[in-house]
Amino acid sequence: MEHETFYTDLLCVGAGLAGERVAIAAASAGFDAILLSLVPARRSHSCAAEGGMQAALGNCAMGEGDSPDVHFADTVKGSDWGCDQECARIFADTAPVAVREAANWGMPWNRVVAGKAKYWKGGEEFEAEEKKDKHGLITARAFGGTAKWRTCYTADGTGHTLLYTLDNKVTQLGVRVHDRVEAVSLIHDGENCTGCVARDLKTGKLRVYLAKATLIATGGYGRLYSETTNTVINDGGGHIIALDTGLVPFGNPEAVQFHPTGVVPTNILVTEGCRGDGGTLLDVDEKRFMNIYEPAKAELASRDVVSRWMMYHIAQGKGVPSPYGDHLWLDIRHLGAKHITTKLREVYDLCRHFLGVNPINQLIPVRPAQHYSMGGVRTNSNGAAYGLKGLFSCGESACWDMHGFNRLGGNSLAETIVAGRHVGLKVVEFLEGAEVILKSSLADQGVAAMAKRIDRLVNRTDGTENVYAIKDAMQLVMMEKVGIFRNGTDLQAAVDTLREIYVKAKKIGLRSSGIGANPELALALKMPGMVRLAICVAYGALMRTESRGCHARDDYQARNDRDWLNRTLAYWRDLDADLPDLQYEPSTKVMYMPPGDRGYGKTEIIPMDAPKED
Amino acid sequence: MSSSVDTAIFVKPPTRVSAYLDWIQMLTGAGLILFMWSHMVLVASVNIGPSVMNTIAWFFEATYMAQVGGPIIGATLLLHFILAARKIPYTSDAQGVIWRHARMLHHTDTWLWLIQAFTAMVILIMGSVHIWTVLTNLPITAAKSAMRVQGGFWGVFYLILLPMVELHVGIGFYRIGVKWGFIKRSGRKKFHRFENIWTGAFILIGLITIIRLWTLPIAGN
Amino acid sequence: MSRQLKFNIFRFNPEDPSSEPHTDTFMLEETPSLTLFIALNKIREEQDPSLMFDFACRMAICGSCGMVINGRPGLACKTLTVELPEEITLMPLPVFKLVGDLSVDTGTWFRATNTKIESWIHTDQEFDPEAIEERMENDLANSIFELERCIECGCCVASCGTANMREDFVGAFALNRISRFIMDPRDKRTDPEYFDVVGTDQGIFGCMGLLACEDVCPREIPLQDQLGILRRKMAFQGLKNIFKPKEKGRHRRF
Repeated sequence: MEHETFYTDLLCVGAGLAGERVAIAAASAGFDAILLSLVPARRSHSCAAEGGMQAALGNCAMGEGDSPDVHFADTVKGSDWGCDQECARIFADTAPVAVREAANWGMPWNRVVAGKAKYWKGGEEFEAEEKKDKHGLITARAFGGTAKWRTCYTADGTGHTLLYTLDNKVTQLGVRVHDRVEAVSLIHDGENCTGCVARDLKTGKLRVYLAKATLIATGGYGRLYSETTNTVINDGGGHIIALDTGLVPFGNPEAVQFHPTGVVPTNILVTEGCRGDGGTLLDVDEKRFMNIYEPAKAELASRDVVSRWMMYHIAQGKGVPSPYGDHLWLDIRHLGAKHITTKLREVYDLCRHFLGVNPINQLIPVRPAQHYSMGGVRTNSNGAAYGLKGLFSCGESACWDMHGFNRLGGNSLAETIVAGRHVGLKVVEFLEGAEVILKSSLADQGVAAMAKRIDRLVNRTDGTENVYAIKDAMQLVMMEKVGIFRNGTDLQAAVDTLREIYVKAKKIGLRSSGIGANPELALALKMPGMVRLAICVAYGALMRTESRGCHARDDYQARNDRDWLNRTLAYWRDLDADLPDLQYEPSTKVMYMPPGDRGYGKTEIIPMDAPKED
Repeated sequence: MSSSVDTAIFVKPPTRVSAYLDWIQMLTGAGLILFMWSHMVLVASVNIGPSVMNTIAWFFEATYMAQVGGPIIGATLLLHFILAARKIPYTSDAQGVIWRHARMLHHTDTWLWLIQAFTAMVILIMGSVHIWTVLTNLPITAAKSAMRVQGGFWGVFYLILLPMVELHVGIGFYRIGVKWGFIKRSGRKKFHRFENIWTGAFILIGLITIIRLWTLPIAGN
Repeated sequence: MSRQLKFNIFRFNPEDPSSEPHTDTFMLEETPSLTLFIALNKIREEQDPSLMFDFACRMAICGSCGMVINGRPGLACKTLTVELPEEITLMPLPVFKLVGDLSVDTGTWFRATNTKIESWIHTDQEFDPEAIEERMENDLANSIFELERCIECGCCVASCGTANMREDFVGAFALNRISRFIMDPRDKRTDPEYFDVVGTDQGIFGCMGLLACEDVCPREIPLQDQLGILRRKMAFQGLKNIFKPKEKGRHRRF
């Protein structure tokens, strides 16, 4: 097979914030790096993070007394004790440094303005005095599930500005960015990962990247669901190539977050900053309800809790009927025109353009939608993937695992550059000590195998199944049966249906020629892999007979620390199989903070030391 | 002599030429705009009475402003044309590109630029002819102007040149304003309207003047 | 009664030797709140699976879906069909290299241009992980963000007469980017250094002031104002020390 080959020290699959941050670390240490991306790097999904990133700087009045310890505790509680506490610790400690480093690179963080300031909380206005000695330092806003105001931001374009800041750094360092190139399989010998086979999405040609270290930073797998806030490229591509090795496990696939405020009907996200800044949720009578369900945190309980109460409230007949199903209202009118057109400018724009709603004097229709994947490529605290040397993962695609079963708002954007910074240094250490043999024969085999798959799809050797029909069927099952509220019957049905869909996914035949930048072929190549991921999610959820964080089982409503204080590891060892092997490991090796009550969200808890039932 | 090779030729030194040329283009443009408007007002004085125009013309010649200023205006016109023409596509390929682009875009300001580019060519030729004719036939008098206009050919000549000049000048005025940031986003619409009325007014004054010259009894002078 | 929309879409696959540039027509029934994002996906999934176009965020913040919609460059994801006539003509953005159909390669163009204008903070200040951040006025942070909101969708470049005629023109996006750095005290570049980057006919002096960029920008970035400010700044910079010979030693070298 004729193909182009690129050699590098570090290959980053994915050029969002996490991938770029690791590449910056490598390039700064004098190593060569290449970033691959499905889209031009600046169009990565990182740009969609609006509200901000959490870091315990404690500069603003409402953040006074904050520290990495408090941030750590909030994160662990948020995860419902599902996280790896070592990682959560590293994260909370490093976050302030990462924020300041970004400032040094040009990030225009919003700043403290000394003097009296008016803020809103739960529809009530109050005043706070911003201190003189903090004037001009990086400020923060409130986000759900936090004890302090800790979310650093640039209006509501934080992800966008941060991504541009980092991509500027990447440009400065001369890191090569190959955009519109998709990694389609990893190259490995069963022990070491040495790069990937990729497809140039501009021409359709296959190529090879050989690297001493390979990083997967491809974001989440939200596109397994039909109603998601994720971009169309969050299809789990990185997870597929890792899982397909049969050696690297998919950690906690069932840990999928739903965001309370997806806009109806387009599922575009409106930032949690709306509620953080004092926005409220209203029902059909235009009355608040979160203050009744959650007296302490109200609208600012964690996302899993708010989403569940919203669905519960709708089920009580309190939803607002619409042609797109029942929804609730988000009210930010009281924040005033100035606040909305500056600090919530993106929200202001998207409401007007996509909904024809002016949020200054109108209500925004919202409903929970799939939003975040806590699960991912399981790594250790260094970001090194289980199962293959030289393979790393970082950001949303990884199950590093600081989020456990629920991620706090503002912790994902933070994870990208905080974990990116940490993993970046570890990758550099790996590269410094690496003695890697790059075998081109393995690459040739990989290319040949992929070329054969493409031929079979184009020639319809295996069948004539329509790839788009398969995608729709999969997304629908996931949405209906593996959603916010889960139960054994639905999950079993989902697994069964997905297995049937998997059979069809292996019989896809193209309806178009497949020549060049053909979109049908690109989807067809990853469709069976997407269905495998979906099966992992549904099967993992079926087996986890408890409720924890965003994994809410109607039939097992208690959080079961006795039996389920662990992490699912899904392996797909044989591509002919239609179920993964599930293994489990303890949630955390170090226990700085033993399981307890979160302080929000009514949950029954079966303690670790509860006697076993038969 | 130093034996070493002059390596400096391989490094493109920072050049200020573009800045200078942009300044000169703007300043010659602004100067010509002021001249054209003044010129129109002066010629239009014939509407008050031929003697008024004659007196003004006499003043400019007695002070040698016409004899010296005329050629300077001609030279300025040429300089302005050369500078601005740097931006006008030279090859038919590039001309095709901008033509297709304008047709696709449905965008007023882009069309206005094409109008400017087109009128520039016309003005270069007709303006030069006009300047030559006037300056080689001094002094300027209302009678001579009227005679020229009434000759027929020159009447039509000025009926064409008048809107060309006023459009070019009006658009140029607006363009300098937006390019150099004197007109802000908030004032653009208002200024656009003002410029349309202003240009329309000058074309109207020009038409009245041509008609006046056309109907001016020559013997009466 | 919902409308029957007629889509005229430019088609060409440069990788396919049998492909010739042409227009294909697709019919689609209009549904409520239909955007071009939904419409094009429907056409691809139901009528022609080979149709090439780009979307990512589908909420007008990533800049992927710039295309020429009935003559005007714009973001397809935020274009509601209600705002358009029954006949909708879609073309790829000019200036950029065509990938196929409505898809163009903006990534390569923008990366090259960002490299050319050195779109990053120039500073020799080492980052000190122990130190607290340098202070900044919040208003300044907001002003920087106002310009940083550009999503590099390419609409300003595609609608620019100059960029269409000359390949080396950096476009409104780059000039706006430079304005952002000039505003930022963390970038230690001096005015003469900025002048070297954009004080040319490839930069601000190539701008003819047609303002199509201002009129099509989906982010409503104040390009007209920024370009005006930049032109004045660079023009005056060009005049500074005009009578001072640049290389004094040069003629005395021998």
